Amino acid sequence: MAWRLAWRGLYRNRRRTFVVLAAVTVGIAGCSLAIATNSGMAVQMVKTAIATELGHVQIHAPGFDAEPQLRLLLEDGGAVAAQAVEGRAEVRAWALRVRGQGLMNSPRASVGIRVVAIQPDAEAQISSFASSMTDGEWFGSQSSRVVIGNGVARRLRADPGDKVVLSVQDLAGDLTGQAFRIGGVFRTSSKAVNDTTVLVRLDEAQRLFGLAGGVSELILVAEDFQAVDSLAEVLAVSLGETAEVRSWKQLQPLLVYMVDAMDQMAWVMYAGVFIAMGFGIANVLLMSISERTREIGVMMAMGMKPRRVVLSIVLESMIVTGLGLALGLALGFFCVWLLQGGIDLSLWADGLENLGVGAVIVPVIRLNDVVAPVVLASVAALLASTWPAVRAAGLRPGEALRRV
Amino acid sequence: MSLEQRLAWRNVWRNRRRTGLCVAATVFAVFLVVLSVAMADGTHEKMIEDGVRMQSGHVTVTGVGYLDDRTLERFVVLSPELESRLDDEPSVLGWTPRLASFALLSEDTSSQGCAILGVDPETEGRVSTLPERVAEGRFLAPGGSRELVLGARLADSLGAQIGDEILVYGVAYSLEMAYELYTLVGTLKLPNPGLERNLALIDLADAQEFYVYGDRLSEIAVRLESARDVVAVRELLGAGLSGIEVHSWDQLMPELEQFVVLDDAGMYVVLMILVVVVGFGILNTILMAVLERTRELGMMMALGLRPAAVFRVVYWESIFVAGVGLVVGLALAIPAVVYFVANPIPLAGESMSGMAELVGMEPLVTFELAPLNPVVSAGTIFAVGLLAAFYPALRASRGRPVDALRSL
Repeated sequence: MAWRLAWRGLYRNRRRTFVVLAAVTVGIAGCSLAIATNSGMAVQMVKTAIATELGHVQIHAPGFDAEPQLRLLLEDGGAVAAQAVEGRAEVRAWALRVRGQGLMNSPRASVGIRVVAIQPDAEAQISSFASSMTDGEWFGSQSSRVVIGNGVARRLRADPGDKVVLSVQDLAGDLTGQAFRIGGVFRTSSKAVNDTTVLVRLDEAQRLFGLAGGVSELILVAEDFQAVDSLAEVLAVSLGETAEVRSWKQLQPLLVYMVDAMDQMAWVMYAGVFIAMGFGIANVLLMSISERTREIGVMMAMGMKPRRVVLSIVLESMIVTGLGLALGLALGFFCVWLLQGGIDLSLWADGLENLGVGAVIVPVIRLNDVVAPVVLASVAALLASTWPAVRAAGLRPGEALRRV
Repeated sequence: MSLEQRLAWRNVWRNRRRTGLCVAATVFAVFLVVLSVAMADGTHEKMIEDGVRMQSGHVTVTGVGYLDDRTLERFVVLSPELESRLDDEPSVLGWTPRLASFALLSEDTSSQGCAILGVDPETEGRVSTLPERVAEGRFLAPGGSRELVLGARLADSLGAQIGDEILVYGVAYSLEMAYELYTLVGTLKLPNPGLERNLALIDLADAQEFYVYGDRLSEIAVRLESARDVVAVRELLGAGLSGIEVHSWDQLMPELEQFVVLDDAGMYVVLMILVVVVGFGILNTILMAVLERTRELGMMMALGLRPAAVFRVVYWESIFVAGVGLVVGLALAIPAVVYFVANPIPLAGESMSGMAELVGMEPLVTFELAPLNPVVSAGTIFAVGLLAAFYPALRASRGRPVDALRSL
């Protein structure tokens, strides 16, 4: 009965219902698309950071996370850590790295840089440097080659084939240097990385830094991104006190905070739109009731309980909101699907790369983007129907019947 | 009020509840839009102000090509002509010479790369707030005696204490290695965490000696009375002088300007969605008001009211509804913004402050009431309201009086 009343209320004035439905649909579709774009940026920031700096899990000597010092080296040149990682089904690929700081000069200029010493073949499996080459080539068989970020290349005013000198402070604390040739130039989605990173072959860096085969980091990529935390725990247990295991979330908590902040923003955005919608829905319900005063009066005179009247009006509100929600999300998600090729924001590429985001943003739908509108829509539908429902339930059948 | 307006005004108040809800929606929209825009303006303004007062100045004089690579190769020399122009220009509040480069700092076995800024301790304060940002110890003393000031986070990661001797390695202008011991005299607390992790200050004279730079400079940072004078001053300073370039802050920090554009774009999209939703609400209200008066309007038309007049009556209704909403909304929003301008909101929670750190700002939400904000916000909502009234007004004026009279 309540259902029939609710449907009838909506069906009675289709134009009006259509306008409300359109408002809810457009609001939700627009919001979901905007939020998906935001999430797309957040996800890309995380992906970029993982593909350049973080990997999924890193293993260091104890104390490295707090103070990344050259002297904090993995036991046995990383052999212990490698043994713990090798052959595990959850691990897709791993590589060894050494990190240090240095100065690089070309015949024309000098810049401050971060040295990331890598194993070229293994590194290509775990990071995006090898696949982001814009000029020259990835490490081949030749020795004394560096691969540098496009920002470093620009400031050095150097191209592949040019000679550069890399100066660093070695493990003993002495300043030392070596000449390299630029093998290639990469450009990732992160300006910070492109402006400062110089890749060097691991064995050459070990000699340069005087590490005698020492390694500061084992970095790995997991098969399942969702299971990274548990993988880190398992590794931490198996390595014990000899090493410190950190997931990307522990290494860069800011990124996690940012994704959380995006979720909070989604709630705020939806709340704003739903409040605006609530007024519209309440209005329509009120109109629908005042038009049906007589009808409701008849029903009540015939013994319909006020409770049921309230129920029918709440249902009416729920149906409009629910339909709008379904249509809106469908439309929004359809747009997201259409945009899977990415939204090209090359015009603002510098600003985006500065945030660690590439120029092409692919919108992403996350669970929160569905939960937030559903929860808020239910609340809005309920709240919007309270006043009209109470009014309708308070009608006195005798008076209501006298009205036209 | 003309007859048409009087008619419309009465119709607006005929169903108070309905009008009330519609006005409430409009008030809400105005309030939210004005507040959001004020928040974005305030936050962006503060980021720019921080950037200008911490790094670039409003205008920066550099050597030719400096923006491309910012290396020692691109230098500028302070000629007497340039100096007199800087001193004579009334809108210049202050200027200071700087040398910017990179160095490797090392304390014991820990080393850290960072940006080195050679500054003149006496004039730096006229442009930037760096001398006021001392967290521990003191700022550089004038005269240059191998003193060093570090960003607090940089000092932390080196494990350096005030009074420690720190070895600075760099590559001189001649491309030879340079190294020198400096004494840490102070640390700086900066609003931009990235800068705090990456900035070391030494005396300009020390820096010129260290980098074997003679009297060359990387940049001359200029602070103006107002950001509005940037373009005029930029042209005036550079006119007829060779070997120099004059840049405005947005050229020096393009990423900052682009961030502002992107952030604004995202916000305007969401606000537009909100306004459209409210527009549908107004459409519905006016449409209902028209439909339930079909008979009445038919009667009026039968009595000789022209369709155009009916159209105008309906339009006046929507103007009144939107207008009341705008007035009340602005009356609520503007005092709220004024309050928040005086009392910025500190960002609570790890996630929000973490996000702030990621984009390089202080975890503080500041507001600013740009004069354009209420005008444009209210104007947009009003325009959407007028657009929404078009269909109901058209319907009301199109009906044939005979049909309308027959309907109930």
